[in-house]
Amino acid sequence: MRRIGFLVNPVAGMGGSVGLKGTDELYEEARNRGALPQALNRAKITLSLLKNDTDLHFLTCSGEMGEAVLAKTGTKRYDVVYTFSGGSTVEDTREAVRRFIRLGVDLILFCGGDGTARDIFGIVGTKVPILGIPAGVKMYSAVFAINPVTAAEIVSENGEMVLHDAEVMDVDEVAYRSGSLSTHLAGFARVPTLPGRTQVSKQVFEEADEGRAKEEIARFISEVMLPDTLYILGAGTTTEAIAHGIGVNKTLLGVDVVRNNKLAKQDVDEKTLFALVKKENDVRIITSPIGAQGFIFGRGNQQISAPIIRKVGLPHVIVVATPHKLCQTPVLYVDTGDPELDKEFGESIQVISGYRIAQRKKIFQLPVPGTRYPE
Amino acid sequence: MQTKILLDEEQIPKKWYNVQADLSAPLDPPLHPQTKKPIGPDDLAAIFPMELIRQEVTTDKYIDIPEEVREVLRLWRPSPLYRAHRLEKFLKTPAKIYYKWEGVSPAGSHKTNTSVPQAYYNMKQGVERIATETGAGQWGSAIAFATMLFDIQCTIYMVRSSYAQKPYRKSMMQVWGAECIPSPSMKTNSGRAMLEKDPDTPGSLGMAISEAVEDAATHQNTNYALGSVLNHVCLHQTVIGLECREQLAMVNDYPDVVIGCVGGGSNFAGISFPFAGDKLTGKHKDVDIIGVEPASCPTLTKGLFTYDLADEAGYTPLLKMFTLGHDFVPPSMHAGGLRYHGDSPIVSRLVHDGVMRAVAYHQSEVFEAAQTFARTEGIIVAPETSHAVKGAIDEALKCKTTGEEKTILFNCSGHGNFDMTAYDAFYAGQLVDYEYPDQLIKESLARIPKIS
Repeated sequence: MRRIGFLVNPVAGMGGSVGLKGTDELYEEARNRGALPQALNRAKITLSLLKNDTDLHFLTCSGEMGEAVLAKTGTKRYDVVYTFSGGSTVEDTREAVRRFIRLGVDLILFCGGDGTARDIFGIVGTKVPILGIPAGVKMYSAVFAINPVTAAEIVSENGEMVLHDAEVMDVDEVAYRSGSLSTHLAGFARVPTLPGRTQVSKQVFEEADEGRAKEEIARFISEVMLPDTLYILGAGTTTEAIAHGIGVNKTLLGVDVVRNNKLAKQDVDEKTLFALVKKENDVRIITSPIGAQGFIFGRGNQQISAPIIRKVGLPHVIVVATPHKLCQTPVLYVDTGDPELDKEFGESIQVISGYRIAQRKKIFQLPVPGTRYPE
Repeated sequence: MQTKILLDEEQIPKKWYNVQADLSAPLDPPLHPQTKKPIGPDDLAAIFPMELIRQEVTTDKYIDIPEEVREVLRLWRPSPLYRAHRLEKFLKTPAKIYYKWEGVSPAGSHKTNTSVPQAYYNMKQGVERIATETGAGQWGSAIAFATMLFDIQCTIYMVRSSYAQKPYRKSMMQVWGAECIPSPSMKTNSGRAMLEKDPDTPGSLGMAISEAVEDAATHQNTNYALGSVLNHVCLHQTVIGLECREQLAMVNDYPDVVIGCVGGGSNFAGISFPFAGDKLTGKHKDVDIIGVEPASCPTLTKGLFTYDLADEAGYTPLLKMFTLGHDFVPPSMHAGGLRYHGDSPIVSRLVHDGVMRAVAYHQSEVFEAAQTFARTEGIIVAPETSHAVKGAIDEALKCKTTGEEKTILFNCSGHGNFDMTAYDAFYAGQLVDYEYPDQLIKESLARIPKIS
């Protein structure tokens, strides 16, 4: 029997239909604008597919925060372990997760958006795997299944859980509503995956184990790193593995700089980085696509700004990612804030995905040159 | 409108053509992996029959094909040469496209052209068992077929990722009475060492070769057989090109462009060496000979021309060839037969000398080409072969821009009837375009001080 912590953020996804970008502090506003709770409907799709799985036992919250979905879909095996206050969903989410952890669960299945993911991750970290049923307005975090049906498949097929690292993105909703996108990496959650779904059988060997793939990438990069050259390492677990490979302790979420297998500067901001790069002749950037969409630049590593990328030069940008990540992101994105520079990346890019192995990946092309990403 | 150009059974070549005879200077000799001195016939006698060792080094221009071998070849040879009218029409190219169809052999590819003589010479020498390796299973099934004909036992080490991917190739080997083992295996020292180093390895041709060579070297009654790379294998495959030259002469044609896919190089050698010979001897100086390889394992286009081991563990001689390094494990793309770090020393030399050239393509573009071919000519080719198809289509499209009416010949080396999962992956949008990060590698190599 597997124990699944299940919770719904009932207000997630409500903003979209009424023109609100996220509902972090606008639940009442959304309701007043006539928004309907999307999350409940989305969660129902998943749960109706899981209701007959006798291997699952759910721990959940009362009412719209979970119980309503389980009851409506006819799920029998569940306990309500937290009573929904009906007010601030953020605090409710956090408290429910604390209960799940205390009572012991194998997985937290939730339905919500980026905000919900961030709140859950803030409590659970990497202690318990999490999986999102997508319901939010925007989805930058990589912890969500592609849709509610896939979420059900992942849960029911993961007797032996195959886990991978997935970015949890923190989107500043207040700034977002005023038209500026400000995302940063909140961290990496452990997320179950469907091996059969994301892999062609031939790739099984390479993709079965993400940790192994990271080691292979790190082994290769450590071999091709040049002496006396400054390397900027972007955020993430793959670049972290590269740092470990050369004996350097890297910040997981920050941008670090190394030279001759030694840390030159840790967790730099844009200004410091630019000052550093300006003095150098030969600088390389090693970066990994971030978020559900796979942004090479522009999400989670904005410290590496357009002027810095220009100074380094595109041929000196080394993109790395595990086969699993690449399988999930058929197209990669670049949003440096400088549309001209974005264009210079061209239609495809080489991504190092193993030991002396790379993949050629398409880069998303904006339909009208010079326009910005729709936010 | 003639579509098939056919020869009589009596016109099966009576001699193989040895391009070594027409090289401007002899090939660099294979070196002993320990002493680094050129190896002699005795070094190879433990694993090869003497006649094959002789064929490996001879510079005789023609070598007789034994009548017993020709008797077997009659089962499918001479293979048909097709004029690809429908493909030409679809491409709207002024070029004439011909393809030699080797998928008519019992095993479904060109590999039987050499498995039969290899098994024959081993039988003649009283060898009881052959140990060999196979990548995608084409060679494994071909040698299983040939050893059965000459009553020799056969053990085949099949690259693990293909073993899981292509169960029907395994079944064919079983039908023809061979034993098929996924490699690396626990049966050999080298296999055990590789598994210890990396229990999850997808395997590689280099690893499987090590196991098969070790098996042969440690068993008195057992010899080794290789399905590509070596000179005698390329020699046996020249029946392809020799027949083509006759068939084209029947329609008063001669190729401007000759194309084949390249893994170890034998099918490419087979179709191209007779034409390379014409080029070397000045009869047809302008024939353009193109080897097509995968971007994920671009030995000829991105490798170094140097001495390297032919296998992973270091049991084989050092061969002077284009190589990506014997420790390179190419990614598990669908054209498993092209996953080899090195290349035939003769093909390598001819590319190095500019007699031939090479191009590389990504996986999804070659499947696109294979689909075009299947939808025009009907034949569903093996993923390996689709590289040659892609090369031919691109040359034909070039003619469309230049208006040239070139004659393009390519080797359609095998069918893809057991590779339909690869086509499924193509339609599911799941093909990964692997490539070899040569820039990063070259840059780092450039800083290594050269040892003179």
